[in-house]
This record gives sequence, C-alpha cells and structure tokens, in this order.
Amino acid sequence: MNGERLQVSLTDAAAEVAARVLGAVRGAEDIGLADYVDTSADLKTALGAVRLIGADIFAPHLLLDRPVHHADAAVITRSFAAFPPAGQAGTRRQQVVAWRDWATGRLLACAADPASAEPGLAPTAAPETATALLDGAKTWQEWSANAAQLSPLALPGLGGPIAAAVFEGARPLARGVTRALLRRDFVTAARLIRWMALSSSSGVGQPLDPALLVERVRLYGGTGSRLSLDLAIARRLLRSEPA
Amino acid sequence: MTTSLTSIAHNVAHRALTYLHDHRDADVFPDDIPIEPEDSDTVYKPIAEIGMAAALVLREGVGGTAQLHAARELIDFTWHRLRQGDLLYERQVRNCLLTDPIEVYCHFIHGGHHHERFERLAVHNAAVRSAPEVYPNRRLAVANAYRTCGIPTDDDWGSLLRATWLGATPPPWAIDWDTAYSVTHTVFHVTDWGGRPHDLPPDIADYLGNWLPVWTDVWSEVGDWDLVAELLVVDACLPEPRFDLDVWTRIASVQHSDGLMPRDGAPVDDDRVQRFWDHHHSTTVAAIAGTLAVSRLLGNGR
Repeated sequence: MNGERLQVSLTDAAAEVAARVLGAVRGAEDIGLADYVDTSADLKTALGAVRLIGADIFAPHLLLDRPVHHADAAVITRSFAAFPPAGQAGTRRQQVVAWRDWATGRLLACAADPASAEPGLAPTAAPETATALLDGAKTWQEWSANAAQLSPLALPGLGGPIAAAVFEGARPLARGVTRALLRRDFVTAARLIRWMALSSSSGVGQPLDPALLVERVRLYGGTGSRLSLDLAIARRLLRSEPA
Repeated sequence: MTTSLTSIAHNVAHRALTYLHDHRDADVFPDDIPIEPEDSDTVYKPIAEIGMAAALVLREGVGGTAQLHAARELIDFTWHRLRQGDLLYERQVRNCLLTDPIEVYCHFIHGGHHHERFERLAVHNAAVRSAPEVYPNRRLAVANAYRTCGIPTDDDWGSLLRATWLGATPPPWAIDWDTAYSVTHTVFHVTDWGGRPHDLPPDIADYLGNWLPVWTDVWSEVGDWDLVAELLVVDACLPEPRFDLDVWTRIASVQHSDGLMPRDGAPVDDDRVQRFWDHHHSTTVAAIAGTLAVSRLLGNGR
C-alpha cells in the first residue's frame, strides 16, 4: 500500500472510530472499539486510527461516566505497541503529538486502575513544552493553531499544564475561533470551541458565548464525525444537551 | 519598533499622497462634475474623498514640507473641481434633504475653504431637523459633518452610535464584508477621523481592541487591501492604537512604486487613467491611514 492510500484509509478509519465515540457521547451504549478493530480487514490501519483519535476515546467515560471496557483499553495498549510514542519531542508537531500521547496514556492508566494517578505507559511530555506551545508571548494566530491541535486534551478531569495554559489564554482562544469561523475553517473552529467549553465549564470567563458558537458551526456547515465529536463534547461540557 | 513603524506609515502616506497629487490633471478629470450626476460614485465622491484626505494631512500637520505642499495643492484642486463650493450649494438647493453636501463640505474647512451661502443653507437645515432615513453609520457621518462645521444640532451621539452594528457589539464572527465597512465608518465619524479617540465608549474601544486584529488578519490573508487600509485607519482612531507592524509591513509591500495602493490582489491595469479610477479609493484610504498613524505615533494622544 503506498503512502497516499494508507493516508486515505487511515483518515477513513479515524472517522469511523470518531463516529463510534460520537455515538457513545450522544448516549449509545458502547464505543465497541475492540469489536471494530478485531473485525477490521486492515488491523494496522485500525490501530493507527485508534492512536489518532487517542484521548477522545475516553470522552464517554469522562463526560457520561460510562465504563471503559477492558477489551477496549487493551486495544489502546495494542495501538501504542503498534505505533510507539516518539522519543524526544523536538519540533512543534512532535511536541503536540507527545502531549496527545500523554493524555491518552494518562487516561488509560487511570481507567485501568482508577486509584493510580500516574501514567502506566511510556508516553510522556516534557512540561516545558507546554509553555513553548502556549506561552503568552506567542502571536494569537500561533497560539490558537497550537491549541486547536491539542484539542483532544480538552476533556474534563484530565488537567495538566496544557489545560492550565489554555485557561490562561481566553483572548487568543476567542480570536482563534473568530478567525476560523470567518475563514470557514469549521474543523479548527470546533476544536477551539471545545477548549472554550471546557474553560467555561471550569469557571473561566470567556469573551464569546461558546453555546452560540456550537450552534453556529452545527447549523452552518460543520460536517464529519471528528468535527461532530468535538461539538458533541463541547455541548456535553456546556450541559446544553439533555443526557 | 516605533521608529520603523513611523517610517513605514509615513512612507505609505507620502507615496499615496504623491500618487493622488500626480493625477490631478485633465487626462484623469476631463469633465466638469454635473450638479446631479447619474452616478455620484464616478467622479463626485472620489473628488470629495481625495479632498478629505488632503484636509486630514493638513489638519494633522505631521507630513513634512513636501507632503503638506502636495496636500495644499490637492485640496485646492478638489475645491476647484467642486467649483469653490458652488456645486455643493446647487446640489443642496435642488434637494433640501441631501446630506452629502455637508458631509463633503466639512473637510474643506481644514483647508481654509468656505462657502457662505452654503453654510447658511446648512444652518437652516440643522434647525429644520428633517434628516432623511439613512444607514445608522451614515447618520453619524451627518452628525459629524455638522459638528465639524460648528453648526449646533440636537444629535444624541450615544443613541446614534448604539443604533449601528458596532454599537450593539455583536459576536465578532458574525460580520461580513459590507458590515466591516460599516464598522470602520462608525469609528471614523464618532472619533472625527481620529481627532476624538476618547469619544469611543470604553466597551466599544475594548471590543475593537479584541477583534480588530482578527478582522485585519482575515482580510489581509485574502489581499483585500482597501478594507485592510480602512481597518488601519480604525486602529489609528482608537484610544490605544495597536500599530501592528506586521500588517503595516504587508500593506507597504503591496504599494506600487508610484504610490498606487491596489484595492485587492487582482492584476493592476497598465493604462494610467484606468488604474487611477480602479484604485483611487484604496490609495486615498492609505494616505489617511498613514497620516493618522504617524500623528498618533508622534504622540498626538488628543
């Protein structure tokens, strides 16, 4: 399989995993992650999709208190084995990936043993890179682009230096959302709106109304399961949708 | 940073004004302006806007000898095209509710130009209080015109401002291109083109401080230089201008060597007269933006 075809099938597979998580966030019974991977014709691509969706897989657990099934947790562990976390994070992109892996690893560890607050897996992210990605000296354009790519960390109960830095950046966050909407970049808008919803639900005042923004993207052309998942998580965070 | 920005803004204004000055001839303006033109945007409005830009250069007085000299000649030229105010007078006499004559006239006062018979009409019109129904931001233009002329009115500036899109401070993402122009003009008139920045209420100044950078970024990305130049004028009208070096550098880089500021990213015509009529507005706005920015940078904090 050439690189381009792999990319397309990985995108499709990630959309499928996101659709399953979306169903669960909307109230369906289970994600059925293990079932999806075990019946997939292309195991490696399926595991890659699981790695890509990462921490979002825990959204039904964190938002609706749904259980994390052992079989699903095992699939996530297998996905790390198939696609090990990168080593030293040098580039901006690598730093973003390291933080997304950190979130997945941390939530996996907590789900496996709720008493444990420490990640049981290898992925770690250097705390100083949180500052590098989201420090106040960055332009609001750079800051919000980084925040959008870190949106899988916008989950209740995860905490950590990334969420703390986003909570400090209400203004660049709101500017980034505004810019994304005016450019009709609904994917980026939804990711940032998710951070805005988490900040708001954590008591951090926002210059823009996140509920209005969720509705705007939903009604004006936001499509795709990953975007819809970001919006569904935002809605749950804002408690604007009946459970 | 301040020094380089002052230098960039000064150069943008100087080159734009030079371009306008270089085009005040019969090739560009072959005909007299009719009292009732079929389309007032074709010659009448551009002449008025160029006169206004020259008036602001003279009002601010930060341009240096050559620039002030060019502004002086431009305002005299445009006043001449308005037949020393007779055109404005005739328009007003024929149509008593027209507001454009006073809106145009008020700027020429900065150049020392007056028309007594027109002023008597304007004083009378203000007393009659029969204003036509216009866009709320245009209503502010009329209020500012009377204020600039020193003609008393009973305008309630707070109510007039709150009737505009900007006055309602809607979500900044719910704006479009036309409304962005409305925002710019609301600010121009409330602040009298940067002459009264503190007349903007604090909530509106904060709103613009938050969202102006986003609008400037988005319309710079698509190369809408006419609107970007207008947004730079807005910045220079704020109580605390932001003076974005990056945006100033970008707009300076697209200005042509003869001073023309392209209205957008489309190719510019080679024909001297055609390119003037295509791009005189963005060039005029660039002259105003640079002039007001330099003035505020030099400490004219009002």
